[in-house]
Amino acid sequence: MAAEELIDARQMSGFKPFYQFQSPTRVIAGYGLIEGLGFEFAKEGATRVLVVTDEVIHATALIDKVRAGVEDGGLEVVGIYDQVPPDSDSSVVKGAAQAAHEHGADSILAVGGGSVMDTAKLANVIFRHGGEPRDWEGYYGLPRANDGLGRPEELAPFACVPTTCGTGSEVSFAAVIKDSAEHVKFQVGDFPLYPRLAVLDPESTRTLPPAIVAATGMDAMTHAIEGIVSSEWSPHGDACALQALRMLRDNLQLAVEHPEDDAARGNMLIAANLAIQPTHTGAIGIAHSLSHPCGAHYNVPHGVANAINLPWVIEYNAAAGEDIAAKYRDVNELLGLEVGGDGAAVGHALADHVRETVRTLGLPGRLSEVGVPESGIPLLVEGAIGDGCTLVNPVEPSEEDFAELYRKAL
Amino acid sequence: MAYFKSEEEVYEYIGKLFKDLSVDDELAPKFRKANTIVQYQYSNPKSQITVRMIDGEDEQVDCGPTEMEPEVIMTMEADTAHKFWLGKVNVTVALARGQMKAKGPVAKILKLVPLVKPVFPRYRAQLQEAGRTDLLEAA
Ligand SMILES: [Fe+2]
Repeated sequence: MAAEELIDARQMSGFKPFYQFQSPTRVIAGYGLIEGLGFEFAKEGATRVLVVTDEVIHATALIDKVRAGVEDGGLEVVGIYDQVPPDSDSSVVKGAAQAAHEHGADSILAVGGGSVMDTAKLANVIFRHGGEPRDWEGYYGLPRANDGLGRPEELAPFACVPTTCGTGSEVSFAAVIKDSAEHVKFQVGDFPLYPRLAVLDPESTRTLPPAIVAATGMDAMTHAIEGIVSSEWSPHGDACALQALRMLRDNLQLAVEHPEDDAARGNMLIAANLAIQPTHTGAIGIAHSLSHPCGAHYNVPHGVANAINLPWVIEYNAAAGEDIAAKYRDVNELLGLEVGGDGAAVGHALADHVRETVRTLGLPGRLSEVGVPESGIPLLVEGAIGDGCTLVNPVEPSEEDFAELYRKAL
Repeated sequence: MAYFKSEEEVYEYIGKLFKDLSVDDELAPKFRKANTIVQYQYSNPKSQITVRMIDGEDEQVDCGPTEMEPEVIMTMEADTAHKFWLGKVNVTVALARGQMKAKGPVAKILKLVPLVKPVFPRYRAQLQEAGRTDLLEAA
């Protein structure tokens, strides 16, 4: 098939006409890494560090350990900005950037979940380039050499210590921030936003409540499964996502039921990190399209919404074509599920497995249990159709398809 | 060698397509659901088309200077725009490679992409009618 004939095809196997994979963040994983934070961050050019976090984490012993770890490497913690809310906002981004200026920082260390890391990412953009947060909305729009065609200009050295095991933001090039004045969430994505360093140490999730481990773990599972079956899948992404699924299979429940199990919590950090890799090629899908409006309109936590929506999406996608079903077969194989039969059968086997996982983790299984009313469906459908993730799903859903998926999940 | 020789040619073909779409009974209402103003900034030749798609308002297409304030700005070579309308550009790939740059709430525009597929043959027909078969041979 000629390359141009594939432009509209959602090609699910074989040699792709184009994909691009990059994962430039240096990842270090293991025990005792918080204690060596300064030693590691110094290698990325940091000397005067602003720590960005939230008040909850600031109140735990973790921040003391982080400070000690940074200073042990001969670096200085010049300030701690802890005003990041669970759903970060433009004004917070500006506050963090301003804190970096005021304290004379030359580098930023994010210690927290997705909201903290995304805030710190965009704060770094403002710190370096100025402007308002929404000036940078969009993709690949950061200043570049050679009239915008050359290498992007670097941001200040930036490191992440994730304290949840779901978003993968510590190795991604995107930040999602709310603009509460305009009631929208906006995205910024470009290469310089990749953190230079991600530190995966089970110490950082020691006090994470099991319910959050479960929800963020299901977000990671959704990233992996959606990544594999997205039209923007890639062999590089698949390799990471399939390994993420093996690690989730072996560690998610363990980490939820035995919070004291350092190895399980550490492996969950790694699984989440691997699961996000397909999104570097733009690979994600409509479980996210369905979940984003649930968060925006009804405050359903992201991981919980994905846990509910994912099985219905799997059944919807898998029945749509053998090439799509074949990708789910890869997933079923490593989970020890049924791989025979038609697409519907394969999808059903995996969807049921996901539902069972959600149930054993103690998470809600229906949108109606988390405050989504039936009357909200039209509003949700509108959001799902307009979501950027819809474009890269292996099947293009109609408005009615989305409504039906919501009704099923209700 | 760029496909379009002048700013005017860009408006004559791509601009005309936008204007035709803005009064299309079937497609225009769908585009207006995007609820945004998008500006396409082209290079080689340097040109600019601004399109208003706001729910409940008439669509407006300005070729060249405009008073409208765009929410989304898409930057690309005029050649890339031409190839897009011929159905030969995958938008997600073009964005990833930097052949198209998007500033602003990109999702608002991306959701229109599936809608414009039926427009590709129309662009082709329009070029044919104008006797510009040279432009149809775009790689
Ligand atoms: Fe997610």
